[in-house]
Amino acid sequence: MSSPLLEVTELRKSFKQKASLLGGSGSSAIPAIDGISFHVNENETLGLVGESGCGKTTTGKALLKLNSVDSGKIIYDGQDITSLSEKAFRPYRSQIQMIFQDLDAALNPRIRVIDVLREAVKIHHPQLDDAQIDSRVKELMEMVNLQKGKLTSYPGELSGGEKRRVGIARVLAVQPKFIVADEPTSALDVSIQAQVVNLMLDLQQKLGLSYLFISHDLHLVEIVSHRIAVMYLGRIVELGSSEQVSKSAKHPYTQILWSSLSDGSHKEVEKSQSENWGVFDFSRPSSGCRFAPRCPVYHARGEPAICRDANQEPKLTQQGNTGHFVACHFA
Amino acid sequence: MSSNPHLIIKDLHTYFHSPSRQGFVHACNGVSLDIMRGETLGIVGESGSGKSITMLSSMGLLNVGPGVVSGSCEFHSRNGAISLFPDLNSHVQLTHENGQIVQVKKDLQSWQKKTRHIMRDIWSKEIAMIFQNPRQAFNPFQTVGDQIRESIMLHTNITNKKEAKEKAYYWLEKVKIDSPKLRYENYPYGMSGGMCQRAMVAMALASQPSLLIADEPTTGLDATIQSKIVDLLFELKESLQLTLVIISHDISVISRLSDKIAVMYAGNVIEHGKADEILGESFSKRHPYTRSLLGSVPSRSNVTRTGRLPSIRGEVPDAVNTPQGCRFYDRCDAKTPAVEARCSQKNPNFSQVAAEHQCRCWLYTPEAEHA
Amino acid sequence: MKTKYLHKPLSQTNAKSRSFFKKASTRDLLYIGYGSLVVLLVLLSYLAGAFSWLPHDPDEMNLDLMMADPFVAGHLLGTDFMGRDLFSRLVLGIQAYFIPGLMAIVIALSLGTFLGVLAGYEGGKVDRAATYINNLLDSIPRMVLILLVVALFKPDVYYIMFVVGVTAAPVVALQIKNKIIYLKQKNFIESAIAIGLPKPTIIFKHILWHNCRSILIIQASLCMAEAILIETSLSYLGFGVQEPIPSWGNMVQAGANYLMQGHLWPSTAPALAILFTILGFYLLADGLNKVLEEKQ
Repeated sequence: MSSPLLEVTELRKSFKQKASLLGGSGSSAIPAIDGISFHVNENETLGLVGESGCGKTTTGKALLKLNSVDSGKIIYDGQDITSLSEKAFRPYRSQIQMIFQDLDAALNPRIRVIDVLREAVKIHHPQLDDAQIDSRVKELMEMVNLQKGKLTSYPGELSGGEKRRVGIARVLAVQPKFIVADEPTSALDVSIQAQVVNLMLDLQQKLGLSYLFISHDLHLVEIVSHRIAVMYLGRIVELGSSEQVSKSAKHPYTQILWSSLSDGSHKEVEKSQSENWGVFDFSRPSSGCRFAPRCPVYHARGEPAICRDANQEPKLTQQGNTGHFVACHFA
Repeated sequence: MSSNPHLIIKDLHTYFHSPSRQGFVHACNGVSLDIMRGETLGIVGESGSGKSITMLSSMGLLNVGPGVVSGSCEFHSRNGAISLFPDLNSHVQLTHENGQIVQVKKDLQSWQKKTRHIMRDIWSKEIAMIFQNPRQAFNPFQTVGDQIRESIMLHTNITNKKEAKEKAYYWLEKVKIDSPKLRYENYPYGMSGGMCQRAMVAMALASQPSLLIADEPTTGLDATIQSKIVDLLFELKESLQLTLVIISHDISVISRLSDKIAVMYAGNVIEHGKADEILGESFSKRHPYTRSLLGSVPSRSNVTRTGRLPSIRGEVPDAVNTPQGCRFYDRCDAKTPAVEARCSQKNPNFSQVAAEHQCRCWLYTPEAEHA
Repeated sequence: MKTKYLHKPLSQTNAKSRSFFKKASTRDLLYIGYGSLVVLLVLLSYLAGAFSWLPHDPDEMNLDLMMADPFVAGHLLGTDFMGRDLFSRLVLGIQAYFIPGLMAIVIALSLGTFLGVLAGYEGGKVDRAATYINNLLDSIPRMVLILLVVALFKPDVYYIMFVVGVTAAPVVALQIKNKIIYLKQKNFIESAIAIGLPKPTIIFKHILWHNCRSILIIQASLCMAEAILIETSLSYLGFGVQEPIPSWGNMVQAGANYLMQGHLWPSTAPALAILFTILGFYLLADGLNKVLEEKQ
């Protein structure tokens, strides 16, 4: 078994929160990512799901060094890239890329599509002449199924789906091997979502890409991903193959997530989940499992002490030899 | 289920000027909807379908001109039928060319005056609306509770501040907000998205309307919260016997709540019928768009053998340059030689495909079926 | 009745230029048109003065034609109290502020952009330092400093314009900083970094050239208006350009003595010139601001 393309170990990042004018305690650090570890193999898609604020986007951005990281290791293709300077990291920028959630993110509204792509091609291939660059640009447009006529358009003239494709083309221009896709379909209509997803799958097949597919659309993640990691409040609580996580989830949170889907193809979990059962209090470090306040298993078992024991925070442990990992005392 | 009409929209045409698209958008192209008392109508459509504009322009909430140019909208209140478009024809002059409208003269000011006068008695008291982005619906400088209390005092016959406050607590509890008395004092920014949405529902229902319009009530919320809001709406509509109109692009939300569904595409209602028939796989006479749309929703059951999702090729037609024939023509894979010519020439009318189920497609006209 | 027309939609060919004119209201176009005219006239007049393409020698004193009325003996606007051609002196008066004004603009824009980029792009400590310097500059009372400089050194227009430039920089810096913060929120700076664009390219090409161009043009126009105002005021007071070199300010001053005698033009002509020129630059800035910068 070859080594993974990307390996992340015990990654941690906190954001300092300034004291708010309207009350609240002084400046404190909320850990956005609190010790996550995962790996992605070549030609593989790892889905990353969780509610807003769980740290998915922060993780993605950390891999691209758009956020600094407090501690932990990121190893890409066998090289430790965690503490590389911006200069030393530059060559990796052509390997690791990101599709941003915001459709307009990659596109400077004053620059035409053709110039956006030309620029991207030139960055890592400064030796090409103009004719070569233009032919590469045309190739890219074909790869993402965009009509050549759109080359002279400005971003403002493009539809949502077209903008998304230009963003993908731009990313492909630098010829990456690993792409973090942050909610690639969220702002798009259903019928266009399907087009974009199919495109991403085709590209994976053709170019041997790996994806970290961040999304809150669980159905989509199921279909697209080989493996899925579920995040809750900065930690990974379940990690396994797409089948394992969606059909035989072991962590109570994962079960609740999938049960909120409506097509009834998943286990119906007792929806006794109250929105206000409790929220994990970061200011009290000795609180144990983060999900306990909202956990139906915790409440059903009479609030066992082990779940609130700070010294026994649940760790991601493999279930037998299946490659299915769960962080729960009662899995 | 009663078959009393509650809100009847007929042949609505709405235009508005879009500076970014440099032209007039024909947002509603003859939209007709029958909303019956006690029923839940789900309006499904993608961007550019006109689903929100239909309700907004009927309620007089569209801020950009010219707005409604023709059609009728009748609201059957407790006191009888009221037209929400009073004397529309006397405020608007239309010039037609080749069956299309090319010139509009509309006296916006006096029209708005008239509609506001009518809506004053209806809005909140009989029809209420909740929107996407709940935080934006609230005044950021006032507590959520006070805003609900004010709405109660304005729209019901409770004039006592204390009584109204009690009622506000009642409604906050009814929408399953924890510790309603504490939450009353919250400001909108201090509430999570889901909670704010519930508060908006509370505010809408506190004035006891009989018809609730929910415009994309779950978009932007987390999956678990979306599910809870949908459950909440379901419970409320049952217990309060509301007539509910749900506008959403999310088919799962629509399917969980609707009795009837209207599918909209590029300014037209292209299918209108019972939810089971439209969503169920067995019904054969569905609009090609509906069928493709349902087929492209991400779910394991839709994935093809090659591991891809069926998609609809192409894009929604330009809202300013509307095509001549059927608006789905370019993207339709169900065209047969028998109907193709007509599809490109003329926008189809409704055909009855089952009891209470209509479809706007040339494939289902009697002549086509016998061809 | 308010009329709305729904014609067959406009073609897509000139989408960009069409959108410029569609956004602009008639009033804005008027401002820009007038302002552009003023700029053109100033430029031409500067060149005319520089190459002495003037109808008369502005220093030539015609002692028997003093305080002549307009249109007398080929003098378009008459002569001043020394018999010199008013029109030529008016044109030459532009020399007093044009190049110095440009200098002020260059200083204001470069210093302002430098501080603005530091504050907006880098953030953190650099931001704080740059903002501190910026606020410091902003708090300097400009007139006081100018008079101080004039008193300590000499009434040299270039010294004055240096002060004007430095004290005008904070406004530019603030505008640029805010623009950068706005752009940061739109993610495309992040994505530019992610794709591997080098920092200078991001700053100069993407931020400044494509997105701050209009700010800089508008600020330049405002700065020139300020420069003219200050130069002419100081020259009027006697601190700026001195006789016999013509400046609109000192021309107004000199001509004021003769107003009571019924000779209007020596004083009024330069005064009107000041008014309409400064107005031109302000309106140009305003019009461009409305069209290029206002968020729809």
